[in-house]
Amino acid sequence: MSPERLRLVLRDLAAGSAFGAMAISAQVPLWTVALFAVALVVAVAGRRPLADGRLSAVALLVAVVILYAAVMVEQLDLVVAACTTASLLTAQRMLSRPTARTTDQVHLASLLMIAGGAVLSADLLFALCLFLYAVLAVLSQGLSVLAEAGGGPFPPVGRVLRPLAAGVTLSMAGALAFFVLFPRLSWNVAARRGGPSLGAATTGFADGLRLGGTGLLKSNPRVVFRARIDPDPGSEQLDAYWVGRRFDVFDGVQWSASGRPGAPARQVVLGSAEPNLVRQEIDLLPAYGSRTLVALDAPVIFGDAESHQATFSVRTELVPSGDREVRLVGPSEHLTYRAFSATDRAVLRATGDGERARRLQLPARLDPRIPALASTLSEGAVGDRAVARQLERALQSGYAYTLELPGRVKDPLADFFFDRRAGHCEDFATALAVLLRSRQIPARVVVGFHGGERAAGEYLIRAGDAHAWVEAEVDGHVLRLDATPPQHRSAAGSGVTGWLLARWEALQIRWLDRVVEYSLSDQARLAQGIQWKTGESHASPTARRPDGSVAVALGILAAAFLLAALLGRRAAAGDAAALGRTLHRLLRRRGRLGPAGWLDGARVEEAELAPVREGIERYREARFGRRPLGPGERRRLVRQARQALRSDASPSAPRPSPPTSRA
Amino acid sequence: MTPRGERLLRAWRRFWRPPRRLRTTPAGRTYLVLTFGVGLGALNTGNNLLYLLLGLQLSIVVVSGILSERCVRRVQVRRLLPAAPRARSPFRLAWGLRLEKGQAFALTVAEVHPVLGAAAAHLAWLPSGEEVVVHAVTTAPRRGPLELHAIRISTSFPFGLFVKSRDLDVPGELLVLPGRVPPPPEPPSSSSGLGLEQRSLRGLDGGGDLAQLRELREGEDARRIHWRKSAQLGTLLRVERDAQPQPRIVLQLDDRAPAESLDGACEELAARAELLLARGAEVGLESTGGLRVRPGTGAFQSQAILRVLARAGHEEAPR
Repeated sequence: MSPERLRLVLRDLAAGSAFGAMAISAQVPLWTVALFAVALVVAVAGRRPLADGRLSAVALLVAVVILYAAVMVEQLDLVVAACTTASLLTAQRMLSRPTARTTDQVHLASLLMIAGGAVLSADLLFALCLFLYAVLAVLSQGLSVLAEAGGGPFPPVGRVLRPLAAGVTLSMAGALAFFVLFPRLSWNVAARRGGPSLGAATTGFADGLRLGGTGLLKSNPRVVFRARIDPDPGSEQLDAYWVGRRFDVFDGVQWSASGRPGAPARQVVLGSAEPNLVRQEIDLLPAYGSRTLVALDAPVIFGDAESHQATFSVRTELVPSGDREVRLVGPSEHLTYRAFSATDRAVLRATGDGERARRLQLPARLDPRIPALASTLSEGAVGDRAVARQLERALQSGYAYTLELPGRVKDPLADFFFDRRAGHCEDFATALAVLLRSRQIPARVVVGFHGGERAAGEYLIRAGDAHAWVEAEVDGHVLRLDATPPQHRSAAGSGVTGWLLARWEALQIRWLDRVVEYSLSDQARLAQGIQWKTGESHASPTARRPDGSVAVALGILAAAFLLAALLGRRAAAGDAAALGRTLHRLLRRRGRLGPAGWLDGARVEEAELAPVREGIERYREARFGRRPLGPGERRRLVRQARQALRSDASPSAPRPSPPTSRA
Repeated sequence: MTPRGERLLRAWRRFWRPPRRLRTTPAGRTYLVLTFGVGLGALNTGNNLLYLLLGLQLSIVVVSGILSERCVRRVQVRRLLPAAPRARSPFRLAWGLRLEKGQAFALTVAEVHPVLGAAAAHLAWLPSGEEVVVHAVTTAPRRGPLELHAIRISTSFPFGLFVKSRDLDVPGELLVLPGRVPPPPEPPSSSSGLGLEQRSLRGLDGGGDLAQLRELREGEDARRIHWRKSAQLGTLLRVERDAQPQPRIVLQLDDRAPAESLDGACEELAARAELLLARGAEVGLESTGGLRVRPGTGAFQSQAILRVLARAGHEEAPR
């Protein structure tokens, strides 16, 4: 690939990366994504159909007018409109005749897109796009400067690559240093921050529970909250139930909670505290999308809730609502709080006859076959506990799991039991609760999450981990029963995909923690950490101890630099090595190699073999003497040497033994 | 200002001259505006990703400075002046660039001079260990010595946002010879008022003694054939005679005339001297200010006369 073509391809790919930084927010209109993708493919293929850019410039102008008209009527966000304009401008410039001016315009418009991406998205993919953009843009711009400079032959690309790679590395290091050290002073005039993952909040956790419906449930891998547990369970996959809401009233189609909301408070206590409480620090991410707080089964205390806005954090109040549910008072995109859970489930027992009666209530129009089925399935079991466990096992083994919803059916429960004999976790939980109530065992449905993947010392819970199960009161104890087949309880990935997803999530957490949420207080902690390390003062025990992430980042940068430098050296030495190989092959065929099959000492003393000698000499200079071959010089030397050897009429000497090494 | 005063002024300016000059390109200006905008956005919103982007943009500015400095820092330059540049005629100004270590990219070389500074040579790549000669074509509007002080090496590498320049003190002088004009018509008499005095004019053209006969070569004048001997030997022979006694002419120059008319007079005399020398005359030069070139012939004499004419009127105030 010629340097000219290479620089244009790099330029266009840099623009593609910049667009990607913006597009991952999923806020850019789809038609813009499609248009830009087509433009990128065409441009990378080397086609410039908009050589005369006047018509396209007019079309661009019209598009911009339409975009801003949409902003005026509040159909489009102003930032999205600006980003769309930048991407259209970039696409138009990419497809125009490549000149120094258009190249500059593409780079600058790409920079605008990157800035737009920073505003629209806070995902880790943004970091990847920013890195790619920086590398590609720097390389492309460096080659462009050389192409515009003119004068003399274009240097070997490998030679240019080395200083540019150094430039990229230094730029990255400088950006990190600036990022860490520049005081986070903000005027807060127009705070705006993107979400940390693709698209809007799409939690799998529902406020209500209604059976039936049409469509297909999707197993969404987005992380909705993360939790740090003390004492740390230490396992990679957590087999834990995170409770959100409990429902005790069922009308045959829908579950609801009967409790009444309490008074807002900074701390909500749901039961008596015991000595062995499990402490959790929970971080509800913007993807969570619900006001209900979650905690490990069985939570007794919620408190220290902080709602995090774009530029500040504020303590917020909680309110107990429904049946042992705790909700946030106001809306919050990002919430952190502490919860304490009891290991003894006695706190979950019904506190009165009314509550017990609600847990035993069956729908008025219950299909009469269901109580009969409950009797059949629990046949042989003695005692409530045994009946409950037998019903749980019967559902796990006798019914299939499916994410496909049953559609519009009159009695979804009967449909599950007798027609489809398949359903998802809510169907299984409802079915078990109704069967238990049919056998006079108090039961209610609980919705929340199941599972947790360990990443960076925390546990990540995804939207796809949303789950429903049953709590039944048996012989004075509260049993947790889960009728859903065990392999379908959470959306934990398996194999390479699961491993990769977990690593990615771990990186995402670090990214959100260390970069997106980096604040003045983090800077103060960092300064304290440095003081602690130097021993000049005593750090507070809660101060974050400096870890190896900075070293890792620097290591990655250094590795990237070394790799680029190595590639550059190889590219520079490539021509020389190829020349050496060709000459070696030609001389070996003629039996003219030197002792031990080396180029050194090759028998090319004849006058007509002067081109061969010149080739060997230039090979040595280019390979070891820092005098690289010029453009096309290798081909010329090879051609001359080939001709000289072809015209050489002297008989070939006996072939020496194969070389063990080459000069 | 006196020459001494000018020298002092130059020294003063050189003392305060920054070691490097930095000029922003149009793309660089837009880039800085964008950087300012991103900075404003970061401060306004507290968006950490904008801070990260701002850091990257500022780092690129710094890195641009570092890499461009590496390009211009170690470059050695020598000036390769043309032998006989003429006023108002294009001539090549060349420079030899050399780098002992490392490599330099996208270099521009130019003289730090009000007249010749506009001419610049470009070089995409300067590897170490070999001298690369670059040149630029320029013109000087007037004759006379041009005093050269420094050569400017510039580069826009690596990002084309800024052009960094380094001035290397390389003193030198370029003597611009009088411009070419059509020679004036032949003087009607020995003292024509055109500054030409005919002191000696002996013999006629082609009238010297017979020196030898030789075979006529292709393209030679057939009038020089010695027909009688040619007929005897059966081949065409031409006559070669001793050199014609050359006319000796001393051109007169009034170098106290005003600068404008002096330039015209010098160019006219230069044209006449070249014409006469081409015809084989011995030509000399004398001026009212005491300049003198003894009569002589050939290319060296032509150069000597042109050089004296180039310096006429510039002896006290070199430019």
